[in-house]
Amino acid sequence: MLLLAVAGITYASRAVSLVFMPSPPPRLERFLNRIPAPLFASLAAISLIEEPRHLAPPEVLLAAAGALIMSPRRSLLAALVGGLAGYALGEILL
Amino acid sequence: MRENGGAASGPRASHPSLAVALAPIAAAIFIFGAVYGTVSAPEMGAPMTFLASALVFSGALQFTIAGLLLAGAGPAALLAAAVTLNVRHVLLGAVLRPRIKAPAPARAGAAWFLLDETVGLALTHEGDAARTLWRAGPVCYVAWLAGTAAGLAGGSVDVLQSAAVAVFPVLFIGLAALSCRNRSGAVRAVAAAAVTAAVALAWPDARALAPVFAAIAVALPGGDS
Repeated sequence: MLLLAVAGITYASRAVSLVFMPSPPPRLERFLNRIPAPLFASLAAISLIEEPRHLAPPEVLLAAAGALIMSPRRSLLAALVGGLAGYALGEILL
Repeated sequence: MRENGGAASGPRASHPSLAVALAPIAAAIFIFGAVYGTVSAPEMGAPMTFLASALVFSGALQFTIAGLLLAGAGPAALLAAAVTLNVRHVLLGAVLRPRIKAPAPARAGAAWFLLDETVGLALTHEGDAARTLWRAGPVCYVAWLAGTAAGLAGGSVDVLQSAAVAVFPVLFIGLAALSCRNRSGAVRAVAAAAVTAAVALAWPDARALAPVFAAIAVALPGGDS
């Protein structure tokens, strides 16, 4: 039952804007267009901080650095390759 | 600062085909799924672990729930986690809404496939965003289920688990880079990451909502009208 409730909440969160929100006016659309990059960057930042107040392990930080170095290429594959290289470097050096 | 989201300079101009862009995402999701299967099975049992992947289809939330169960949390804490972690979906859905012309039933179906990863793809590929969700989403879903099943079948995946911790930030950095339209977007992304990190370090209890509020805060200053 709990699992169904969690699944229901998750689907509702995905559907509420897509199904029920009317197409927004241009000004709101411009604001919404500015959200994805900061949101994803924030999610990256939060995944580098472990609870309660610790940074992620060094090899994870190096993986993130590798992805950041590749970010001007604006390619997910490049980010993953950079991250993998950073992670491998961390495993070798640390 | 002016936002230049024109076709020539925008993110859609130079991106690879959806299949090429999707391949590394599916691989990463498979790894997440394998780790989730391994981590969650001792707490939830194999059938419930697989059912959770089939019904919830949200790696971040499912990992959080597995962690909460391990810590002995009750139903209220699990539901609260589901609400707070899913707030970003409302925001991402709103971002995609102007890019979708499909009727409500098709949008309701596409909503099942609204993930961070598919949103990133939909933002950077031509055509109706719902169509991208319908094309990329099933691949991600199968990868997630197959990964979960592999984790349940394969026992210990300590090496994968260690690497999977690193894949989360790497994937989000890649999605942020994909979504950046211009220098202004990059500045906002860096600012949001800094605000989120500061909030998470100063108020750990607020960390689940920090990314959403930081993204909204840095997106508010306009100058593009």
